[in-house]
Amino acid sequence: MTRKKLFGALCVLTLTVAACGRDSTSSPDEAPATTAAPAATPAPEPATTPAGEPSDTTPAPEAATTEAAPVTEADPCAGAALEETEIGVSADTITVLVMADTGSELAPGLFQGSIDGTKAWADNVNANGGLACRQVEVLTWDSKIDPNEGTNGYLEACAKAVAMVGSTTLFIPPEAIASLETCPDKTGAPSGFADIPERAVDSLHQCSKNVFTLAGINGSCPYGGTGERTYQSFVGPFAKYTEIAGEPLHGIYLTPSDLPSTIASSMPTIRGLNQAGLVASDAEFGVSGRAEQATYAEYVAAMKSSGSNIALNGSNDQAMIKLRTEAKAQGLDESKVLWACSLACYTDAFRKDANVAGSYLGLPFLPFEERDQNADLDGFLTAVGSDFPQSWSVLAWNSGRVFEQAVNAVVAADGPNGITRARVLEEVAKVTAFDNGGWLGTVDLSKKAISPCFVLLQLKDGAYNRIYPEAKGELDCSGENTTTWTGDSLAEFKG
Amino acid sequence: MKLVQRLRSTLGLSIGLFVVLAAYVVYNGRQAPKLPGFTIENIATALFTGLAIGALYALYATGIVVVYTTTGIFNFSQAAVAAFCAYLYWQLRVDWHWAAPPALALVILVVAPLIGLVLDRLIMRKLEDAPVVIQLLVTVGVMYFILIATGQIWESDTSRKLPAFYGTKSIDLGPINLTYHRAIVLIVAIIVAVALRLLFRSRLGVAMRAVVDNRSLAALTGAKPNIVSSAAWAIGSVLAAIAGIMIAPELELDPSNLNAVLVFAFAAAVFGQLRSLPMALVGALLLGVGRQFQISFLKFGGDWTFARDGLAPIVLLLAVLALPQSRLQVGRVARNLKPIERTSKVWETALGGVVLIVLFLALSGGWLNFGIWDPASWNQIALNRANPALATAFIGMSLVPLTGWAGQLNFAPMAFAGWGAYLHLRFALAGDGPTVSIWWLVLVGVLSAPLGALVALVAGRLRGLYLALASIAFTELMAKLFFPHPAAGFRDINKFKPFDVFGVDLTTRRQFLMLLVVLLAIFMVLLTMLRQSRYGRRWMALNNSEAASATVGVSVASTKVVVYAVSAAMAGIGGALFGTASGTVAATSTFILDKSIPIVLLMAIGGMAYPIAALFTMFQLMFLALGERLEQAGAPGWLLGILTFLRLFGPGLGAIGMVANQRGAAFETGRQNARYLPWRKDAKEDYAAARAKRREPEIGELGLSQAFSVADVVAIERRLGVADDLAAHGVARAQGVGVVVAGG
Repeated sequence: MTRKKLFGALCVLTLTVAACGRDSTSSPDEAPATTAAPAATPAPEPATTPAGEPSDTTPAPEAATTEAAPVTEADPCAGAALEETEIGVSADTITVLVMADTGSELAPGLFQGSIDGTKAWADNVNANGGLACRQVEVLTWDSKIDPNEGTNGYLEACAKAVAMVGSTTLFIPPEAIASLETCPDKTGAPSGFADIPERAVDSLHQCSKNVFTLAGINGSCPYGGTGERTYQSFVGPFAKYTEIAGEPLHGIYLTPSDLPSTIASSMPTIRGLNQAGLVASDAEFGVSGRAEQATYAEYVAAMKSSGSNIALNGSNDQAMIKLRTEAKAQGLDESKVLWACSLACYTDAFRKDANVAGSYLGLPFLPFEERDQNADLDGFLTAVGSDFPQSWSVLAWNSGRVFEQAVNAVVAADGPNGITRARVLEEVAKVTAFDNGGWLGTVDLSKKAISPCFVLLQLKDGAYNRIYPEAKGELDCSGENTTTWTGDSLAEFKG
Repeated sequence: MKLVQRLRSTLGLSIGLFVVLAAYVVYNGRQAPKLPGFTIENIATALFTGLAIGALYALYATGIVVVYTTTGIFNFSQAAVAAFCAYLYWQLRVDWHWAAPPALALVILVVAPLIGLVLDRLIMRKLEDAPVVIQLLVTVGVMYFILIATGQIWESDTSRKLPAFYGTKSIDLGPINLTYHRAIVLIVAIIVAVALRLLFRSRLGVAMRAVVDNRSLAALTGAKPNIVSSAAWAIGSVLAAIAGIMIAPELELDPSNLNAVLVFAFAAAVFGQLRSLPMALVGALLLGVGRQFQISFLKFGGDWTFARDGLAPIVLLLAVLALPQSRLQVGRVARNLKPIERTSKVWETALGGVVLIVLFLALSGGWLNFGIWDPASWNQIALNRANPALATAFIGMSLVPLTGWAGQLNFAPMAFAGWGAYLHLRFALAGDGPTVSIWWLVLVGVLSAPLGALVALVAGRLRGLYLALASIAFTELMAKLFFPHPAAGFRDINKFKPFDVFGVDLTTRRQFLMLLVVLLAIFMVLLTMLRQSRYGRRWMALNNSEAASATVGVSVASTKVVVYAVSAAMAGIGGALFGTASGTVAATSTFILDKSIPIVLLMAIGGMAYPIAALFTMFQLMFLALGERLEQAGAPGWLLGILTFLRLFGPGLGAIGMVANQRGAAFETGRQNARYLPWRKDAKEDYAAARAKRREPEIGELGLSQAFSVADVVAIERRLGVADDLAAHGVARAQGVGVVVAGG
């Protein structure tokens, strides 16, 4: 073959593969370089609290007695002739699908934690005898931060899985929701299927009747994507911050501004704080994940000129690292400022960065450092093989536990051959008090509310230390930890 | 004096721009209460941090200017090389705990020049006479290749941070502290600009600039073009390495982050008119300061949230438009003439269209499943991928008349497509019905054409690289200012309705796929007819020589307006189809530069001048389905490894491959295989003639950089028809000639 023939062949081959690299791939500009402060887990009525007795904190469970997942008393598998009862339910396996944005060539691994957490849950279940007398099989789908691949993930789940578990996908278009809600079951009936994502970011996804998320959603439904909406704002730690500061809080707020969705989910936090009188804004800045640290000098200057006593980061851990490093360079007296972050700062990189020592963050679940307080937390860390995994994996694992609980309820009622998409949907909707032995605040999945629960941590000497509540294994779940704010969050953003 | 004149002309523009910005700052500052005040401290902070950021842009821009000035190639891969070197420095300095001096020496003085030399030797030197579009796209291919290789080597999902020189230590300037690192950046940027200016005045510098004008002539006057070219690329890579290492501490180490500075670097380089290093430095500093003032005092919230990123493209566009353009290249007409090719006949294209329709009918129906499609489910996903891919092909086809035939470089097909999608969403989809008539597409095309005409009127005087840069700026402006604005409708949850064709609702994916294929076939036939019309001939003439076209009565301006309008109309229709194929479009991530450049790249790899190049998206679809299907089926690791390699590096390598074949795969495939068509006797004859010609020796560089050998002379004399019986005397003469040439 001549060189030109070889070239021609290479060109043809290259063009055939190019779609993998470009068409279905989002550019570095699409990738959300910043991450919104995630909503916390919802839990209006703690299951561990006796009915009619409201409690501000969930009690520390006995580690040794905490059960990771409900266990049926009689063995329903004994002597059962297992059948293929539904798409995704064979005689041997129960198939679920987890979808996450992980495969952009230039931003790989974005929500890999979702995949890792879901797989680890399945491995854990299978190692402990399986689910409904079957092994759990996890299909993975890379949505590549691409709406079309998001739709394809739902089509794949419609064809092969009984439910979706642990997903984190930024763009979910209307066609995907149509597939989620009307996908035909084995009999051809448009039953749809249950989606128990790690979190729901897209408003259309948030408002779907088939979506049950432990993280809750912070906005009212239905919502058209623009205009006013009523939001729940998580303000729990700020009363505590005021106590620590010993004076009214006023300072700067950093909004992740690379995507409309991150702005929309972030702005209600600061507006809720403003409205509740907990924090006054000296200045607000939109930060891009692509901004140089030098641009943060302006934020520090604003803090200096306003005498700010709080810096509130609604963006990701890197934004806080840049802000605090720049504050050091600009000679700001850091001891006079309360550096407040969210779950986004609960990362291995953040805790290892000496420049951010002293930062506070409110965490909606028990920290990894307290693995001795909760057996399933311990099992989770063992299963993922890390002392400090991506925080996305926590709710992915727990989404698996919710699915497990729903399937076990089906089995308890209808036997191991009673599992259908419709029945799983019914049972997931009945999970009204999930807390996984106190690892999370109690969640009522049908209400889609954000959790009022949190534990306040401070980073010292490379480790997160519990500040409040003081007792290990406890979360503060006061109803005053959330507030509502109504407005157009995108219009509120001033750049 | 020239510098002063340039300063005057460019500064006039800059001052005007900054006065407008300043007025808006004051107005905006009063409107937005959450802004920092205009205190001395805040202004000083914006100024000094802006200078530091501007100095970083300057390091990138300087490298681009050096390479362009000395090789004529505008290097898109500058920031990618910088990213690679930054990662390598991190590896040595942070991961392996080397001291800074040896790590810097290895990266900047050894690895970076080597990268430059390799790029020059293997790729860039072969682009010397290539059209600008090929030169640009090859460097784009290099950029993709290096970025993805960097991401793969260092697993870019892992968070890494490169520490600043001297950490957070800083110099107290009163209202602001200037970190040692930023002070170093400023000093290095100035030293580099001064040193390079001195270099350009040296013998080597003069040789560098001579080589880019005329390589052969420069060689005859004693310059060594190959050495000069290698030196330029080595210097460019060294500057990239310095820039990468300097900017990395300001960012999280991430290939795409480190590459995102490119538009700022382009704007700064163009500010220096791609020639003046001091002006590029000034442009970069102004950009840095302007951006920092914008961050501090200009707020684009609400409807204009994403307009904050519009500064660089605005400066780039204004600078390109303000650039003095070179005069018509009347002396180089013969060199630039495109070879005359046989054009497809209309019936041949129509036959191809029918084959295409039948093929897609079979594929979409699962009749041709190659054993890998599961008709029950996978086919829906394959169709869901095929539809946007074919719509993208449609958008790509809009480049055929504009770039392939008329030679107007355009990196903005997605900007025109977005405009079409907007029109479709606003007008055609406003009704209540569940479907929309196919005839709306005609209206979308008609309404999209004026945007193309407008661009032609604004950028009509630009050519080559400048036109390409203007189209980049235009795409960025549309992506930052218009598409994310609520008025565009893309922020809402938008849903594109299916079409109805003559009363038949095309509601399934397969029906829409077939509509796309039929439309593609129709437009391929229309393009073939257009190519053979007087417009097509005018566009080709324009591509060969605007001067010659003008002398035979072709109105260059109106011809450009027409071809831009036709291209914009096609891209607009493609955008409406793309929206329908995807079901929805995103405000900030669908019609953007990062999606536009790959379309241009793929069209160039396929063959920009041939409508059939757009159909290579079909192969993309097949390969994508094959790769993922095999992975799920548990294919062997080595096979998946090959597929992954091709998936990651295929586009970059394909673009680099244009070094060998600049006319694209469609041309090469057609030339190699046309002889198999029964009615193409001409192709059989051409093929036989080409084979015979290949057996003859090539003259190549003989007599210029390469001495004649005896065999060369004998062969040349044979080709010239000199009698064999004179060979003995010829040998003697040839030996003499060879000595003279080699010695000279």
